[in-house]
Amino acid sequence: MGVGMEYKSILGERGRAVDEQVLYDLRISELLEDILGRERDEFLRSLYLEPLNNEEIAVFRLNVFRDLMRNEVYNAVENFVEKIRESIDYIELEKEAYEQHKLGLHLDAALSYIEAIESFYNDLKVLGIRSQGLLNFLNYLQSIVESRSFRLMKERVYEAKKARDGIKIRVKIIGNRIKVRRYDEGEDLSAIIKNLFSRFKEGEVEEVKHISVTSEMSHIHAAILEGAFKFYRKEYEILKRFMEDFQKIVDDGVMRFAKEVKFYLTYVRYMKKVMQPEYLFTIPNFTCDGSINVKNFYNLLLLRSGRVVHNDISTDGVKRVFVITGMNSGGKTTFAISFGQLAYLSTLGLPVPATEASLPFFTSIMTAFPAREDPRESMSRLEQDITKALKILKQANSTTLVIANELFSTTTSEEGFQLARLFLSELNRKRAYCLFVTFIPGVASIDFTISLVAMPSPEDPMKPSYKILPGSPPSEYMAVRIAAKHRLLYNHLREMLR
Amino acid sequence: MIHFDLLKIGNSPKITTAEDVRADLELDKIIGIASNKDRLVAETWLEVLLLRDSSEDIMRYRQEAVKDALVNREAVQKMYLLAREAIEKARREVFIPRLDDPTLVVYETSKGIEILVDAVEKLLTILTSAKFSSKAFSELMSSLTENIDSEFISSARNIAKILAYGEGIDFSVNIGNYNCLKNPVLLVPKERNSLISKILSIGKEYTFSIDPRDEAGLQVLADIKRWVLSQIATTMLNAYNRLRNFFEDLAKQLSFYIGVINMNDFFEKIGLPKTYPEVNPRKLSFENLYCLSLAISTLSKPTPNTLDSDVDGSFAILITGANRGGKTTFLKAIGQALLLTRAGLFVPAESFIIPTPGAIYTHFLREEERRMSYGKFEDEIRRFRSIVDSLKRGDYILMDESFSSTNPVEASIVAENIVSAIVDSGINVAYITFLHDFIYRFTNRYSKKTVLLVPERLKDGTRTFRLVRGFIQPGYAMELWRKISATLSYSTSPSPTV
Repeated sequence: MGVGMEYKSILGERGRAVDEQVLYDLRISELLEDILGRERDEFLRSLYLEPLNNEEIAVFRLNVFRDLMRNEVYNAVENFVEKIRESIDYIELEKEAYEQHKLGLHLDAALSYIEAIESFYNDLKVLGIRSQGLLNFLNYLQSIVESRSFRLMKERVYEAKKARDGIKIRVKIIGNRIKVRRYDEGEDLSAIIKNLFSRFKEGEVEEVKHISVTSEMSHIHAAILEGAFKFYRKEYEILKRFMEDFQKIVDDGVMRFAKEVKFYLTYVRYMKKVMQPEYLFTIPNFTCDGSINVKNFYNLLLLRSGRVVHNDISTDGVKRVFVITGMNSGGKTTFAISFGQLAYLSTLGLPVPATEASLPFFTSIMTAFPAREDPRESMSRLEQDITKALKILKQANSTTLVIANELFSTTTSEEGFQLARLFLSELNRKRAYCLFVTFIPGVASIDFTISLVAMPSPEDPMKPSYKILPGSPPSEYMAVRIAAKHRLLYNHLREMLR
Repeated sequence: MIHFDLLKIGNSPKITTAEDVRADLELDKIIGIASNKDRLVAETWLEVLLLRDSSEDIMRYRQEAVKDALVNREAVQKMYLLAREAIEKARREVFIPRLDDPTLVVYETSKGIEILVDAVEKLLTILTSAKFSSKAFSELMSSLTENIDSEFISSARNIAKILAYGEGIDFSVNIGNYNCLKNPVLLVPKERNSLISKILSIGKEYTFSIDPRDEAGLQVLADIKRWVLSQIATTMLNAYNRLRNFFEDLAKQLSFYIGVINMNDFFEKIGLPKTYPEVNPRKLSFENLYCLSLAISTLSKPTPNTLDSDVDGSFAILITGANRGGKTTFLKAIGQALLLTRAGLFVPAESFIIPTPGAIYTHFLREEERRMSYGKFEDEIRRFRSIVDSLKRGDYILMDESFSSTNPVEASIVAENIVSAIVDSGINVAYITFLHDFIYRFTNRYSKKTVLLVPERLKDGTRTFRLVRGFIQPGYAMELWRKISATLSYSTSPSPTV
């Protein structure tokens, strides 16, 4: 069907493939498992693995999200995609079907398609959409709906459906013989039985289920239909002519849209699943002054296992290196990964898990996490750490985000400190952003860094609160307090051993 | 709709501590006699004996039916046998292993309907030749004769024939999505083999046969049959279930009266008196009450007890005194008689009058609780607590050495708190106890409501296993001390003189 207008992709442009190591360190693959669920569409998956090259496309996508995060828009789009899918499925089925069924499948494909196009067009017109992406598609739809060929198809499809609905036959099966005739009249046996036994109180109510083990479109069905068409000649002709006159049903642009828009639908569905009053998503806002201001962000993966703590992170853009220290198992790494994931999602043009999110558009996100001990690896861990650090430094620039976790920990803390200072000074000089998780408290006192600390729980100082707040590293050590509790400090031991 | 109710169980659940009552009052012995190894009778007796709810009306309704069943014992036995055999035959011949094969379900249920309809016919014959007078049995008879006539029987048989194995099927059907068949409605077959119908159908019928070698085709055909029959299979199954349910209901209700007949025979064999209890809110009175479970164990008449007491709202029977004097037997005799009374049964006594037909609960000391420990005491209290949750005004609680797992001083305080509260709440108590502080204080405070019983001892010291009224004697112990010391010419010094 010629429409004369070109379809413009709802995705804007494609991005570039993400670095595998980042995918692993930031646990993006796991996150995608949650987002995609049982969706096995490779095209869709690849979209989530392609950070965008420029901010404009990210904003283009985020604007589509702004529209789709309204329920009525989302429902309209989802409904549309489902119907188009249905239509495509019918056409697929036609290839294998008997002539008698082909007539029906083609009719159903057209019915779904027409209904999909019309209802979506009518919905979208009045929903007040604002994103360029959806507005483009609305225009495209309009050109379809107003085309002569579409109107003609619509007229004919309803005629064909009416013809089919009028068919009713009586079938008799005796042994392997089947008799078909026009239905005239008959007595419903089921109603008679119900009435007859209603005088007995209801017993156990059971439902007999029938699961077809054979096709509903077999040669036997085709033969029954052939019988039916013998007695409904006119109806048959109408169905047949419709199929001949309208061979192609679904427009190519519509088909592409239905495929691409799943990128958005999948994510909105995921957000809906996650969202509760305390777990919200927000459309990120890309800053140009280098500042970061993210409020109440949280870790999506941890949501699986229960309640999750919210944290903030901010800088005016002058200081860009965050050093995170504090108690063991206090949520330091989770904090860094969560922020890394949030930044990653923003570079795909996706809403992020926070109540407010202003941050630069990162053109690259890099990670330096401790390598798993691998005896086959010839380099020592310290060597690997340094290699990673240097590779990062080579690529880093003012729109780079580096997430580093316990780097340089396989040496003395003094040396570790020296290495960290070197690495961070370099990043700072390049004006790159970094979250540096370490247990070397000295790193937090380097002048160009922002010190963040994992805080203990206010109720029980032995337990973490998972809150990461600005401040100086603690002066008292948890391990010492635990020893004191068990009366194992010097004085206790002296007293006991006296 | 057919309605009958020989038991008036209503919606009453079991009492909450049913298993304790069952064990404490040795109900299995009683049920053993009633059931004579018939499991259904045993189940029904257990259920009826342990119902939480009852009323004087229900008690009378059942008493009347019990008397009626004893008069018409032959008809009751015949009906019971018929119902059991019909169920058993259906169980043996109707095989529905799964609910996803409609063809099988339809064939099997039509077989089942045939079996059960035969039994319905026979049931009517038995009923109409008996002479029932009670409300319960009269209703059964009238409801059946009003609802079942020869037309029902022949229609039901006809349905079973139409849907029997090997018959063809005749249905109407429309054409739906994919041009698949939809909305099948199974029809009453038209008269077959009529010459006129054959002539009339020439040119109006499209007939084809499936080649016996076309295995796939035959499978499809079987599937179509299943599909069409699935519309009626649920109806047939539920019709069959209604019929079977009717017989199961009937068998269950009759089984109670089969137990009555068996128990009556036992009473006669042992020579136990038989009385139908009465309710009088101001009386607790019985004459020669026997412990039924003891009679069953010994196959003889045990020592009976007699009591006559006025009741003002509620009563407490405290039982104390030497072991092996018949205290627990007495408690069981009362408990069993109360349960039989509520069930509408006769009890082993010359007369039996109780103030209310309330529910019966037991709190008997467990062997493992005989050791004193706060853990055990807490268990005991917890167990008591679970009874308290269901106690209502007019109920009975039978206690055997409750609160013996802690020292008698504090146990007395607990017992006094608990028993006073119970009696003041209009609940009746019979309590075997050795808690002297409690007995003393309680009988003084509740002298009008309390009966104190002790094992009878004749002047020569012989035990009669009968309980008689006892009296509180303050200072008795001191007196006894003095008495005995005097007898033994033993002087306690220094001892205060009174």
